[in-house]
Amino acid sequence: MKILKENGGLLTNFEVLDFLRSRGAAKDPTRVLAPLAPSEFKVYDFLEQSAACSQTRESIAEFVTKCKPYKLTKSEIVSIVNVRPSSAVEIDPLIEDLDSRLGESAEELVELVLQVFPPPPDQSKSDE
Amino acid sequence: MFNLSKLEHTLRLQPHLLGLPINEAVKGELEGLFLDKVIAKLGLCISVYDIESIDGGFIFPNEGAPTYTVKFRLIMFRPFVGEIISAKLKESNADGLRLSLGFFDDIHIPKLLMPEPSRAKPDSENKNQVKWIWSFNDEEYLIDGYDEIRFRVQNIKFPEIPNEQKESKPFAPMEIIGSLVSDGGLGPISWWV
Repeated sequence: MKILKENGGLLTNFEVLDFLRSRGAAKDPTRVLAPLAPSEFKVYDFLEQSAACSQTRESIAEFVTKCKPYKLTKSEIVSIVNVRPSSAVEIDPLIEDLDSRLGESAEELVELVLQVFPPPPDQSKSDE
Repeated sequence: MFNLSKLEHTLRLQPHLLGLPINEAVKGELEGLFLDKVIAKLGLCISVYDIESIDGGFIFPNEGAPTYTVKFRLIMFRPFVGEIISAKLKESNADGLRLSLGFFDDIHIPKLLMPEPSRAKPDSENKNQVKWIWSFNDEEYLIDGYDEIRFRVQNIKFPEIPNEQKESKPFAPMEIIGSLVSDGGLGPISWWV
């Protein structure tokens, strides 16, 4: 076994979820007929209850173009898409040197996230 | 959290598989070999993304199985240092916390990387477990197993395979050390929302 390329590209959680869905993970309630291994189903379960379950390819593309003025690195953009922070305190650990790079516009960035990625219909977020 | 890795592997295709279309047979072999296994320095293999090329198909003397050289891409789970991940609490003891992602369980938050200042309170329900409590601004915040815990990846270790298996813990080929030290935003999500 030879490793040709260690890092061929960073994937967002949504892309992995989309890939598993295209293999048939969503359609099979018995989990026996779909050509997926049990370990792949575990990854599917994890991704379904993360922020990626309600995202679409278009919304991620939209977010990437709209956050260009903030000059975020690729890994920061991927982290924000994966975690989907809904407040400034949640976005703080994702971005290095948040204050010196963004300052006040951190709030705008949080607004942008909330606008492009609507929160999923789950209980704890809507209660607050 | 996930990235693609391109690999090349030489594999023998058993004769009973030769009735299948070659793509399926090769994919099945690769899945059996790599899925849910840890490759050193690359991470945990989640899935075969695609097959780029299948070469060869020569049958060596004295064998019935053709040998193919396959180039393919795998989806690997390998968080980068500094990434923020949400995971569920699996175990909480005096050494720290153990978190689980469902498909990956070896995430450890040692007690030195808990938010300052924390203390452990022995749990009345389970004998070996403790509950960790964080004191901040005269308020106490409890880490219970109720909601997901966000942590920062501090380090990823790929320990060598030991020659003798220890009885107490099964060998973990990939371990993630996480940290909850931050200016805000890490720890159970209910602390911040």
